[in-house]
Amino acid sequence: MSEAKLGVYICTDCGIGEALNVEELGNAAKARGAAVVKTHPFLCSQEGVQVIRDDINNEGVNKIVIAACSQRVNTDVFDFDPLKYVTERVNIREHVVWCQPPNTEETQTMAEDYVRLGVIRALRSECPEPKITDINRDILVVGGGVTGITAAIEASRAGSRVVLVEKEAELGGWARKMYRVTPTKPPFAELEKPSIDAKIEEVKNDANITVKTNTTIASIEGEPGMYRATLNVNGSEETVEIGAIILATGWKPYEASRLDHLGYGKFKNVVTNVEMEEIASKGKITRPSDGKEAKSVVFIQCAGQRDENHVPYCSTVCCNVSLKQAMYVRESNPDAGAYIIYKDMRTPGLYENFYKAAQDDEGIFLAKGEVLGIEETGDGSIMVEVDNQLLGKKVKIRADLVVLATGMLTSLLPEDFPVNDLTPEYVGNIVKKETQDGVIEEIEAVPTTLHLKYRQGPEMPHLKYGFPDSHFICFPYETRRTGIYAAGAVRHPMDAVQSAADAAGAVLKAIQCLELTSQGKAVHPRSGDQTFPEFRLESCTQCRRCTVECPFGVLDEDEKGTPKEHPYRCRRCGTCMGACPQRIINFKNYSIDMISSMIKTVEVPDESEEPFIVALICENDAYPALDMAGQNGIQYSPNYRFITLRCLGGTNLVWIADALSKGIDGVLLIGCKYGDDYQCHFVKGSQMASERLGKVQETLDRLMLESDRVQQVQLAINEWDKLPQILNDFSDELKELGPNPYKGF
Amino acid sequence: MAEETVITPDLGFVRSLKGAGAETLKKCYQCATCSVVCPISPDDRPFPRKEMVMAQWGMKEELAADPDVWLCHNCNDCSKYCPRGARPGDVLSVMRQKAIEENAIPGFMGKIVRNPVTALLIPVILFIAVLGSTGHLRIPDGQIVYSKFFPIHYIEYIFIAAVALSGVAYLASLSRFWNTMGRNGAATQKGFVPALIETLTELITHRRFAKCEANADRKNGHLLVFFAFIGLAVTTVWITVYYYLPEPYRKLSPISLSDPMKWLANVSALALIIGVLILVVNRMKDKGIDSVSSSFDWTFLTMIVLLAVTGILTELIRLAGIATIAYPMYFIHLTFVFYTIVYFPYSKLAHMGYRTLAITYAKMAGRDVEL
Repeated sequence: MSEAKLGVYICTDCGIGEALNVEELGNAAKARGAAVVKTHPFLCSQEGVQVIRDDINNEGVNKIVIAACSQRVNTDVFDFDPLKYVTERVNIREHVVWCQPPNTEETQTMAEDYVRLGVIRALRSECPEPKITDINRDILVVGGGVTGITAAIEASRAGSRVVLVEKEAELGGWARKMYRVTPTKPPFAELEKPSIDAKIEEVKNDANITVKTNTTIASIEGEPGMYRATLNVNGSEETVEIGAIILATGWKPYEASRLDHLGYGKFKNVVTNVEMEEIASKGKITRPSDGKEAKSVVFIQCAGQRDENHVPYCSTVCCNVSLKQAMYVRESNPDAGAYIIYKDMRTPGLYENFYKAAQDDEGIFLAKGEVLGIEETGDGSIMVEVDNQLLGKKVKIRADLVVLATGMLTSLLPEDFPVNDLTPEYVGNIVKKETQDGVIEEIEAVPTTLHLKYRQGPEMPHLKYGFPDSHFICFPYETRRTGIYAAGAVRHPMDAVQSAADAAGAVLKAIQCLELTSQGKAVHPRSGDQTFPEFRLESCTQCRRCTVECPFGVLDEDEKGTPKEHPYRCRRCGTCMGACPQRIINFKNYSIDMISSMIKTVEVPDESEEPFIVALICENDAYPALDMAGQNGIQYSPNYRFITLRCLGGTNLVWIADALSKGIDGVLLIGCKYGDDYQCHFVKGSQMASERLGKVQETLDRLMLESDRVQQVQLAINEWDKLPQILNDFSDELKELGPNPYKGF
Repeated sequence: MAEETVITPDLGFVRSLKGAGAETLKKCYQCATCSVVCPISPDDRPFPRKEMVMAQWGMKEELAADPDVWLCHNCNDCSKYCPRGARPGDVLSVMRQKAIEENAIPGFMGKIVRNPVTALLIPVILFIAVLGSTGHLRIPDGQIVYSKFFPIHYIEYIFIAAVALSGVAYLASLSRFWNTMGRNGAATQKGFVPALIETLTELITHRRFAKCEANADRKNGHLLVFFAFIGLAVTTVWITVYYYLPEPYRKLSPISLSDPMKWLANVSALALIIGVLILVVNRMKDKGIDSVSSSFDWTFLTMIVLLAVTGILTELIRLAGIATIAYPMYFIHLTFVFYTIVYFPYSKLAHMGYRTLAITYAKMAGRDVEL
């Protein structure tokens, strides 16, 4: 990049011009090194943008600071080639004039500070150098059930070549073992024959799809666009090169043998819903004990589900499955009765119609109740004692057959690992290890499916119950392994219809990932970002913080523990940058030095009644929350300066030292919720920040500086109305602590 | 606590409920909107949701012994608010009919009453047999005096015997109901006598009925019918007393129109016809819900209308002196009287006893809502 020439463009529309002394703003920018300062009454108009373009073309401006509205709006207007120009947005609209009284000294100082910070930020930014290499665009689909088959078909239709591996000898998975399936079309009332065979044929006849049955995965190494998977095909090893992976290994039933309190294993006529499909496939519904027709069948819903001792969650499909199987009973004998004892009937969406249809059947008896006990009578019948909450009394139901609606576990779960008591993040055993620091406990992850050669573990990290961790609502198919997308019941209990939809979604994500990777760009949520973390390895002390903390397992280690990068796995959150105590990890346009310099640029008032605070905010949720506060005209303290981070995970503790030694009274970190219901776009970022903060607070205590001067709050994007309270509370706490003793040093 | 019920599928009973007019019962998905909107349902184990489950599950014995179906006064608010159109109000009304049938002693009588043709043929054949064998099966000459056609002793023998039989049967049915109801749990909140007195007071004032605000008209109709029956019962006894009084107090039919007994009889007859007409009109008018009255209810209402109309006609035609119509009309009227009195324990009228006992039981069990 040639010599930096920085232009500052101030928009005076949207109330900015009326509320601020714009000329002084320009002077503040000039004082920090802006070569060009211009104001425009309507900067996002064609004419306004043309002013900037003219300066780029005629004046050689290559760093552009736009002091106007939020960086989240007008992104298509202020769009200058990121490989040639640094563009920095300073939000003096939502974050200043819309949330502060006009024409006051505080408001003016605040705006000037933000302009200065923007100038510094731009000056410390360089244009990225994208990494572009030839990549492999083939997709490996793991699992040949309804999800995998659908994924293969969808990928092929989108033009991708697919390798579909299945550990069994036949494709089709559970879908082929069903006697009937729940309705898929209006009026959603009648059972249908499984349609999986047609799909299997389609896969077999598709030239883009290579099917490998009797195949498991021995290992997977690499990164998006350049994975190498070693397959075990019928006992011999084969290697395939692929670009992305769809994980579609589905589910397995919960071990009914653990449900002896419901009579399973003790009484022959107690079966699981999976076994019921086998019975139905053979014709009449009969009792396993003597082959007699079953005229009274009791379905026990949530058998071991929503139960902390077994499967703590709801498998979402069992209500429909039992309604379906109740119809088998009725179809088998019109005088037979099917009882469904449920905790809650859950038949979401259009399955409501199916529920109604089943309910209208005079021989299907539904009731909310709790099973108190199960006994066998002399003739093999089962007496099910039920506390029928609707009747308000206990009843006994004589049943020929009892069907347990056992739940779905993710197929990633290793055998004999109780789903209600798994090790955190990686499913495995806790082992004791001798290290220099003494004996430590560590999780030894158990490989089951993908056998990833990742430093962080051989399988997907899980959040709960072994399901691969991803953002459940916002980014359903994404996992914490860029390039590997989970679909179907492996990631969440679901039925075949939902699995098929999931498969299509995951394939699109995989294709998107490959496309962006081929351009050297990040995937969601910093989609299109062309920067990469850069490691000054000569200063690395092999502390392994970065390799441990990266939420996406980007970094492996060499024998010494030096980080080994797989750049295409990276999502550019900067958590490694925040983790590194040696400060050797930086981005071209996002660095430790940049934020340090910004903190040092803030003009801290020497004498002030009110505490002066720097807040590090997450760009994903906290920043838009502040925007919304501004849009709603909510006023808050003018003594805050917000500095935007890609994610709080990037918080480096040196910034806190910088702020406090400068006399800033307190530092507030505003980030996403973390924990089980995390909202962090980078999964672990805000949690990492809070862990780091725990450590800095010890240090502060030792320095006789109150640890309360540095705090983190969790804020959801829609909690903008809580902001004034949060900011005032922190301010009040600092007021009680008194001014920072380093003030004025 | 209540003893446990063992359940086996009884699809026959479910089908019979559906056949009797409760065809919507399977639509219920137990949301309890009905129990919430019902102004007279108790907080603990409220109806009609639990009754809907019993019906869906075909729990015949449970329903027969359930006091709560009788607490319902059929305002049909539940049907109005039911999000699934399960019409709990109508289902409950069918359940009451089934409960009468199930508790009926002897059981076959319950089934006879269900068929109005058979039920009416019995008295017709009986009367013809009696009149024919005694040579009365003809129109008498002279002034119209009904005892010339149907001697008063015959009426007494037939009706006193029949009332005694049906009375015993009714008491037996009620006592069976009371005993099975007791299986729902000990009722210790209140003694039987105070509970019964409270219940009877409510009955006379129709206070509970008035809680069903949705149908004030129905309450008035029912009140008229209720007191009309009491009036008619009183006059029936009164006229018998007149007959057996010593001279000169003895009075024989036809009684003079100026006689107080005749006043009461005529007022009661009018009240009956007006009350029943109010009930019929109320059932027919559009209440904004798709409510269905069972054939059981319609049969009964028709019989009451016919009873009242033929009674009034019998009197009017006698006064008009048209013998050829008067005597046959009297015959027809007697047939309906027979129907009403003898089938009392098995017809809708039986609800009087069941309801009284059920409310009394609810009061004893502390399941009564404050009125």
